[in-house]
Amino acid sequence: MASTATTKRLNLHEWFKTITFYEILVGMKATLSHLLNYRPVTLQYPHEKRTLPDNYRGMLALLRYDDGTEKCVGCDLCEAACPSRVIRVVSAEVPGEPTKRYSKEYYMDMTRCLFCGMCVDACPVDALGMTREFEWAVYDKRQLHLNKQQLLAIGDRSFPVREKRLELQHPNVAFFNVAFKHVPPKPD
Amino acid sequence: MTEFGLRLAISLTQIAAVMGIVVITVLILTLAERKVLGWMQDRMGPMEVGPYGILQPFADAIKLFFKEDIIPAGANKFLFTMAPILCLIPAFIGFAVIPWGPNQTFEVGGITVRPFVISDINIGILYVLAFASLGAYGIILGGWASNSKYSLLGGLRSAAQIISYELNVGLSIVGVLILGGSLSLVKITDAQAGGFWHWYVFALPAPQIFALVVYVISSVAETNRVPFDLPEAESELVAGFFTEYSGLRFAFFFLAEYANMVLVSCVAAALFLGGWNAPYPGTIMAFIGLPSLAWAENTMWFAVKTYSFLFLFFWLRATLPRLRYDQLMRFGWKVLLPIALGNIVVTALAVFFFQ
Repeated sequence: MASTATTKRLNLHEWFKTITFYEILVGMKATLSHLLNYRPVTLQYPHEKRTLPDNYRGMLALLRYDDGTEKCVGCDLCEAACPSRVIRVVSAEVPGEPTKRYSKEYYMDMTRCLFCGMCVDACPVDALGMTREFEWAVYDKRQLHLNKQQLLAIGDRSFPVREKRLELQHPNVAFFNVAFKHVPPKPD
Repeated sequence: MTEFGLRLAISLTQIAAVMGIVVITVLILTLAERKVLGWMQDRMGPMEVGPYGILQPFADAIKLFFKEDIIPAGANKFLFTMAPILCLIPAFIGFAVIPWGPNQTFEVGGITVRPFVISDINIGILYVLAFASLGAYGIILGGWASNSKYSLLGGLRSAAQIISYELNVGLSIVGVLILGGSLSLVKITDAQAGGFWHWYVFALPAPQIFALVVYVISSVAETNRVPFDLPEAESELVAGFFTEYSGLRFAFFFLAEYANMVLVSCVAAALFLGGWNAPYPGTIMAFIGLPSLAWAENTMWFAVKTYSFLFLFFWLRATLPRLRYDQLMRFGWKVLLPIALGNIVVTALAVFFFQ
């Protein structure tokens, strides 16, 4: 079939289409119809922002309990789970409570982070969260090496509603939790 | 001496006015092109500077003006400096013979002034064509003097392309010259007065519709606009002949390209679409009893025709992809040239037998 179509001589109809630039006119009609039915797909970004999906994975943050204590128990599982070696945890015993640990230092190198969320999945106490922040362009990339205070601050501003202390929720994991001297003891 | 001084002052005023109009048109065009292209591609175009981006041309001009002017190492400094000027001046100089409005005169201190044409020389259209082809020197020299392979390739392509299509432009207007019997744009425009059926696109005995098509296609190629923008093909040659140019020198090339667009549109309007003549006989202003304001209506019609051609340029740019180089050459020499020659023969025979 194809061979007959190609060997067919240029008939009058096709010749007329050629000399009247029929195909170019069809294309020009298409562009003109877009001009007349002007519906831009552009989003004027800094002035208007798209709605993010519910499971958006943005900037990482460290979370606190509702009484202001840090959730992190310094288990290093996030560091182990991270495929890009973003996270570095320096874990230590809670002073005065040798059975409990906390992260003395906690660093994230956000220049390398690929926002896969595996650290959040790995965390046994839900101490890590992904916020909906994405506007993290900086002039100096060293500003993207975040320490524990900065990560906690991100968590504070992104997650105003905090969970209750874990030891009040589930006795099995309460073992991991941190008690601080400035925190009043749990009521029992 | 005073008469000479007066003549000089009048001419300089006219030149300044025309230059101002052309530069303002170019400013409008730079914005209009981006806006029209954006709208045709479901985008918005520039939106940031001013309301709906209408101040974008001024922002661009300021940016280009204050940008660092770089002359690459190994470039021929003299030619590198000369090329943008050689490109810009021919583009502007052609406007001297374009009639913007009716062929009326008034007296200032004993001197007859024609307000809507700087100088009505009797070889007007030849003068425009001659300077349009001089503009190719700017492009070729700019490409050669940059000491860059992309610029050189762009310049060479431009040389071949402009020589090929210059011929088609020249041949396509011969039919109009036969009908008009003159090379002066003022006389050609005057001969098309009295309604759109007197315009040379439609005029009997030999409608120049094929000549108009050949002229439009060739002028798109001659101004290096999109379906034929091989000299500055950005996907192949970075930016073509002005790859190494920056700042004010780049602005000169940019200005020259747009001024050339305006020029070929003006020439097309004057030769084929009746210039400043309205598509109906006479003018509305004369009909309602204000013949002294008829020039405004006529000038408006000239602007409408010119801007329609400029819109066609944008429209083609939004629609068509770039031709391959051999396709460009084949189209110019094997398709457009025979059509233009055939048009000359047909027009000459028609004029000989029916006029």
